[in-house]
Amino acid sequence: MGVMEDLKAISEEAQSKVATADSLAALDAVRVAVLGKKGSLTRILRSMGSLSPEERPLVGKRANEVRSAVEAAIDGRKTQLADAELQRRISADAVDVTMPGRAPHVGTQHLISQIVEEMEQVFCGMGYDVIDGPYVETTYYNFDALNAPADHPSRSPRDTFYVADPTHPDPEREDRAVSDLLLRTQTSPVQVHAMEAGKPPIYMISPGRVFRPDTADANHLPQFTQIEGLAIDEGLTFGDLKGTLDHFTRAIFGKDRATRYRPHFFPFTEPSAEVDVSCGVCGGEGCRFCKGTGWLEILGCGMVDPNVLEMSGIDPERYSGFAFGIGAERVAALRYDLPDLRMLMAGDMRFLAQF
Amino acid sequence: MRVSLEWLKTMVHVPENPDELVAELVRTGTEVEAVETAGQALDHVVTGYITACERHPNADKLHVCTVDVGAAEPLSIVCGAPNVAAGEHVVVALEGAVLPGDVKIKRSKLRGVVSEGMNCSERELGLGDDHAGIMVLPEDAPIGVPAAQYLGIADTVIDCEITPNRPDCLSMTGFATEVSADFDEGTHIELPSVKREEGPNAAELVDVAIDAPELCSRYVARVVRGVKIGPSPAWLARRVQAAGTRAINNVVDVTNYVMYLTGQPLHAFDLGKLRDRDGKRSIVVRAAREGETITTLDGAERTLEAGMAVITDGGDVPVALAGVMGGLDSEIDEGTVDVLLESACFAPGSISHTSRDLDLMSESSVRFERGVDASRCAAVADMAAALFEECCGATVCPGAVDVYPRPVEEAKVVLRPDRVRAFIGADIPTDFMATRLSRLGCTVSEGENGTLEVLCPTNRPDLTREADLAEEVCRLWGMDRIEATIPAAKDHTGGLTEDQGRAEAIGRILRACGLSETINYNFAERGDLERLGREDVGLGIPVRILNPLTADQAEMRRTMIPGLLRSVAYNLDHGVRNVTLYEQGRVLLGSAEAAQPKEPARVAGVLSGAWHDQTWYAKARELDFFDAKGIVDELVHELRIERVHYVPASPDRYGWLLPGRSAEVRAGKRRIGWVGDVHPQALERFGIAQPVVAFELDQEALLELAHRELPFKDIPQLPGVEVDLALVVSEDVTYETCVQRLGSAGGRLLDRIELFDVYRDPERVGEGKKSMAFHLTFRDPKRTLTADEVDAVMDKLVRKVQGSLGAEVRG
Repeated sequence: MGVMEDLKAISEEAQSKVATADSLAALDAVRVAVLGKKGSLTRILRSMGSLSPEERPLVGKRANEVRSAVEAAIDGRKTQLADAELQRRISADAVDVTMPGRAPHVGTQHLISQIVEEMEQVFCGMGYDVIDGPYVETTYYNFDALNAPADHPSRSPRDTFYVADPTHPDPEREDRAVSDLLLRTQTSPVQVHAMEAGKPPIYMISPGRVFRPDTADANHLPQFTQIEGLAIDEGLTFGDLKGTLDHFTRAIFGKDRATRYRPHFFPFTEPSAEVDVSCGVCGGEGCRFCKGTGWLEILGCGMVDPNVLEMSGIDPERYSGFAFGIGAERVAALRYDLPDLRMLMAGDMRFLAQF
Repeated sequence: MRVSLEWLKTMVHVPENPDELVAELVRTGTEVEAVETAGQALDHVVTGYITACERHPNADKLHVCTVDVGAAEPLSIVCGAPNVAAGEHVVVALEGAVLPGDVKIKRSKLRGVVSEGMNCSERELGLGDDHAGIMVLPEDAPIGVPAAQYLGIADTVIDCEITPNRPDCLSMTGFATEVSADFDEGTHIELPSVKREEGPNAAELVDVAIDAPELCSRYVARVVRGVKIGPSPAWLARRVQAAGTRAINNVVDVTNYVMYLTGQPLHAFDLGKLRDRDGKRSIVVRAAREGETITTLDGAERTLEAGMAVITDGGDVPVALAGVMGGLDSEIDEGTVDVLLESACFAPGSISHTSRDLDLMSESSVRFERGVDASRCAAVADMAAALFEECCGATVCPGAVDVYPRPVEEAKVVLRPDRVRAFIGADIPTDFMATRLSRLGCTVSEGENGTLEVLCPTNRPDLTREADLAEEVCRLWGMDRIEATIPAAKDHTGGLTEDQGRAEAIGRILRACGLSETINYNFAERGDLERLGREDVGLGIPVRILNPLTADQAEMRRTMIPGLLRSVAYNLDHGVRNVTLYEQGRVLLGSAEAAQPKEPARVAGVLSGAWHDQTWYAKARELDFFDAKGIVDELVHELRIERVHYVPASPDRYGWLLPGRSAEVRAGKRRIGWVGDVHPQALERFGIAQPVVAFELDQEALLELAHRELPFKDIPQLPGVEVDLALVVSEDVTYETCVQRLGSAGGRLLDRIELFDVYRDPERVGEGKKSMAFHLTFRDPKRTLTADEVDAVMDKLVRKVQGSLGAEVRG
């Protein structure tokens, strides 16, 4: 057998072994057996010196061809095996994608805080400040400065929580629940402080907790959240009040909602109005949710009474302004048709997690 | 205020369709609560004619009538009335009618004879008290016409909510005036007037003294004699009933009628029951004495307080609770002959207090509370006298006793139409203003410089200033017609302050840490601190509510924790085992030196149970101290608060926390809050049977200490060398001490120290000892460290910590 035949046999055997190698290790064994230091092809190349000068270039050329072919076969097979290995791993790693994901622990914001922050954003966008004040107020700031008549029913202990004045211990006053201190029943006192503290222009909202002696039931809470607003500037009109509240209403309730202004009475403002928003359930046609009227009452508003401006040292001839108030719990109840406001105060994880 | 449209129509034009009227009322500021159709009870009740009337074959007292009700066939009706007879025009309830008292009329057999309806009495129709026999109509009455239509009792009643500034609308005349302005129509109001006066002058019969002028600004007394007490005429009874009061007798009904007509409450005393002094009666208006009593018309004995107004007849005992309710002893009854009529004006504040304190509200008190027009007391008394004359057969004594020390005056207001237009933001013509204000009863004339001079009627106490008139113009013009504009504020910017933004950020961070926000009452139950096991050191004195609704809301909270613990208990009681909540809110800390308390903001949280129950990927892990501490760490890190560290909470100061599993949180030397396991005894008192870990931080301190930015640290370019080191130390050596000693021993090349394992084993580590394993990273920012350098540093470090910590080092 000549060298050329040996080369042919080596090539054929190597090709066949590469093709049947079923792992990278088996493939490497083929490589070593043919191309390794002691490999069959290497042996032939080493024995080149014993060949005649005529044969040498021919065998050399042929041997190199065989080596290239074997190397190419090994590389090809290697890719094949790697692909197969990848495919195997992929199928082994497949999961049931319908199983639940690993839940990150993220808490939720209370519904009332969400509504307050939303409203803050709307008014900050219109250039308003956000201001809060004390819960324990004086009758002056909660009533007098807001033009509430001295004998107004809202001042009675049935409508206002009075608070003991520790600097004025007088048992008789306590018996009658009379005090100059109270838990604010509205956030309007904050506006009075703001009017006293700063000169117009004033554009502010005062969101915060307020308190009234209503026994907690499905529709009442003794503590709830009001967002009141005040704008005082030169030349403010009732039209400005409407424009502002129309924008606010649509931002909170939706672009397609209509508003209606019904004249009303509040001591703090004149003219005063109650604002209705068209019912979101029936679109204003009238349904059970809006008691057939097509409208839902959402806020009270009006032009600031000149007396109020004067009491706070603002010249009503030069400045005018408007004020409004809305209850966050009312908005929450309307949005979600909540059956019972007490849910807002229980801290029930199942309730809180929904918002 | 219940407004009968039939009555209203006699005074002002109103649209035929009540819906149109309602819409206009709502548009101009009168809230309509309900619209009722009166006379509905008389559906299926018609006029009929008895063509034949025969004795019932089986009953002596019954008759069988043949009644023509305008239908094809006459009806057979069995009737027991004594006055039934052929040839009578009657009112017939047909099959299907439901009469007042829920009496359903059906076809039935009475003693064997079919009856197809019922001939009705006045009482059965709800029209009066007469039940002696069936109602017999005049001979010209038509046949087969709906009874409500024939009797003129078909009516629509609109129930309106009148705002407190509009006492005028608590009367039909005032309401008609308002409607006339709404629709720009004239009014045609006819008021009764006395036809004949005779007998002694009222002044000869009655003395009036107002001893408490602050409680009563006017008192008018008139006298009528010889009243014949009986039922009111149907029209009067109907109007009073439509307005919402039961018809009682003609005298009482007249006073009520005139009140509804004019808004002026009246009171009729039985003159004969008042103390007689030489043929003269006395009326004295005085303040009540503390503790004196009166039995009011409703039969209740009332104990009075100083400041209430009473009427006496000159004697010691009050005969009426002024403006609220009459006394039982001077009540009009069947035997009343002479009447002393009171038309007075009492102070709104006093009436309001009286009504509230006695829990006694009447049509009268409601009107006095809102304010009655004192200028009209005398005129109203005259109207009532005229009706006594007309409806009660009374003889009216001439004159009246009228005590009216300080007559009210009409307010005069200068209205600048330009200013009104500018203020409202609508181009409302001056003519419109003048016309509509006149419709409202104002006297309008032209003033200087294009202004209007407006005299406001005295029944409109809400109209005294230009702004008051602008309101009237605005609402009558229509708020919906005013163009909506958005103001552009000059020289003003808004937005949240940095602190407000951070306070909201605190919430976001805590939510990202897994806590859900809750809101609790700012109220507290007395004894909450004791329940918690907390001394009130540093918490001032409680803010106490003088009129709490419930004992658990008797004061204001001084710590957030009881509220949060109650939320935990609520969840556990409702089968929710994993509770992770936070709250941002205020506590109220009172002091004996200041009237108003301090109201610092707090941020607090509670964690109980696990983040989640067992899942397919993880077992449930009970939340503990380090979960809460990790959240506090994250919060202060996000707020970029420096030098925060934790000091074991001393049981003396933190009695409500579990010693050994609680810490005070400090930033530098400042205490900013605490974190720890709530003491099991405290939990038990709040009804909680599983561990709760909590924290409470001073939000104001967090906001003060927070930084917008801290200096940037460059990212290392060169690799560090990591070495693991385990220290076996005594249990009382803290992690913090270890880190401090490692840090000082490692010198400047020691870049990071990370605890990665804590291991306890009495045999392998030793009793009372723990092994703490650290990753140490050495790094020089300027060059790569060699192994020899690191070895040298480690040798030194190990020697030092062995000495300073008494540690055994395992490499």
